Parts: sequence; C-alpha cells; structure tokens
Amino acid sequence: MTQQELTAYIQANFDGKLTLLDTGRAEPMFEVKPEDLVDTARHLRDDPQLKFDFLCNLGGVDTRQRLEVVYSIASMTKHLRLDFKLALGYENPSAETITSVWPAANWYEREMNELYGIEIRNHPDLRPLLLPDDWDQGHPMLKNWDAPDFIRMPEL
Amino acid sequence: MKKLPVYTESIPGGAIVATNLEAVLNFGRSKSLWYLLFGTACCAIELMCTGASRYDFDRLGMIFRASPRQADLIIAAGTITKKMAPRLRRLYDQMSEPRYVIAMGGCTVKGGPFYYDSYSVEKGIDHIVPVDIYIPGCPPRPESLLEGCLHLQEKIRKQKLSEWQEK
Repeated sequence: MTQQELTAYIQANFDGKLTLLDTGRAEPMFEVKPEDLVDTARHLRDDPQLKFDFLCNLGGVDTRQRLEVVYSIASMTKHLRLDFKLALGYENPSAETITSVWPAANWYEREMNELYGIEIRNHPDLRPLLLPDDWDQGHPMLKNWDAPDFIRMPEL
Repeated sequence: MKKLPVYTESIPGGAIVATNLEAVLNFGRSKSLWYLLFGTACCAIELMCTGASRYDFDRLGMIFRASPRQADLIIAAGTITKKMAPRLRRLYDQMSEPRYVIAMGGCTVKGGPFYYDSYSVEKGIDHIVPVDIYIPGCPPRPESLLEGCLHLQEKIRKQKLSEWQEK
C-alpha cells in the first residue's frame, strides 16, 4: 500500500473521524477529535488492512495558538507509517489515555503530562518521569515557560 | 624527593634523613588519589580513556574506586541534571575527609551547551558541592584531565594538617 492508497483508504473507511490536513508535505497528517481518539486508535490497530501495531512516538507541540498531541504509529507487518494529531486548547488541556490500545504510550503520556501540563484522563500511573520529584516550577516545554535560572538563547 | 622538605645528614656508611610529618602525609596522599566513578555523559569516555593504557592514570597512583567511602576524589565528568544533583551531593557527603572535587568539562563547570534554553541541567556543580579544580573543554582531552590532577596533587602537597577539617 502506497502513501496515496493509505490516505484514500483511511478517508474511505474511517467515516470522517480522521481529517486529512493540508500541510504541504509529502506525508499525510490527519487530525482526530478528542472524543474519537481511543475508538479510532483501536480501529487503526485492529483493521486487517492496516494493523498499526506499534506506537513509534507520542509528543506534544506548543504552536503558541494551541497545544497539540502528535501520534506516530507504524505497522510492522504491513510496513506502513501514519501520523495523526489531536488539537487541544490552552485552557485545561486534557486527553484520554491510549495505553489501552498501545501500552507503549504509558511513559510518553507521563512525560507529556509533566512537560506540557496536558492532563491524561484514566492513565494507570501518572507520576513524574523526567523532572525532579519536588518540581514546582510548572511545565518547561511550554513556549511561555520561565524560571529564575532559565536563560533563553539570545536572538541573533 | 626534591619536592619533600628534607634535611639529609651524611654520616659514614649512610645518611640520616629528617623531615616533618605533614610533608610525609601530604606526599602520600597526593600520590595515591583514589577517585570515585562519577561519569554521566561524554566526558566519562575521556575519563575512561585516561584510565586506560594510552594515558595510564595508574602512574599517578590513581585508581577507580567505586565506593565513596574509600575515595579521596570525585571526578564529576558529564552533564549534571537537576534530578541527578541530590545524588551527587549524597555521594559527596558519604566520602571521608579530606575530599576533593574535580569538575571535568563544560557541562559540569557551567552547564556547557545546555546553558541556554535548558530547564533540566544544573548550571555548574559549584551550586551543589565545593569544587577544587575546574577543567574546561567539551570534552577535555585526557591530557587536560592529567594536568588537572597534577594541579590537584600540588594543591594537596601544600595543604596544612590544620586545614583538613575546614570544608
């Protein structure tokens, strides 16, 4: 299955739950609505044509307009890659966990929770992973983050 | 022997050598620095190289000692993150007096390339433990580390017994 065939297949079979974004890049990027996230993820994993069985990466993005969660998945048997994202507002960002679909999401979601402040609903173990245990300085990966000893690179 | 303050009285068939206790103790301490393993990043590779046969730390009487309780020196080689800082402090506290610290490499000295735009890296281990010798470089070559150790030996040789407990 080529990239075009994959894109067409997803647009035909996911009844609008994954929207193709016009990013101007060669690889397709889809957007999913928060309420459809877990169902769509499970569907992507279980569809016999796709079998997306591997979560490569899960990361947050701060675009200064909104927060995004980007999921990169792969199919080991069908040799496919797919990216899709979830858009969240700045106010109380919260996303459902997808550890029930891909258990590998566990650590990524913990990391995202502490670095971006995105609340992960129903996560089995949402302890801090990277930051010190007594960290009380907010979420460092946000673009507007600041701390007393944080020195920003001077603009050249 | 030139570095020891000795008095030699030649007598027929031999000589009497007199010196002071402080000089003998300091000489012994400076020539047998056992250092605690504390490598966290790329500098640790240079540290290992210095310990290996080409540069040969052993000729300074320096050997790896993986326990803080018998180590005289801690060579902090690599990036110290804020999460790692309490562990470094704990190891330093477990070392017996008199103890010494070498900060090896840009990250350990001042945060290195992580000085800007970094939330996780401690900007210099002098915030955590007192440092005796700073070795700049990213990473410093083994020669720089050897030079730093020679400077530390000199510092130890000049120390007074009364200064041992001061830190």
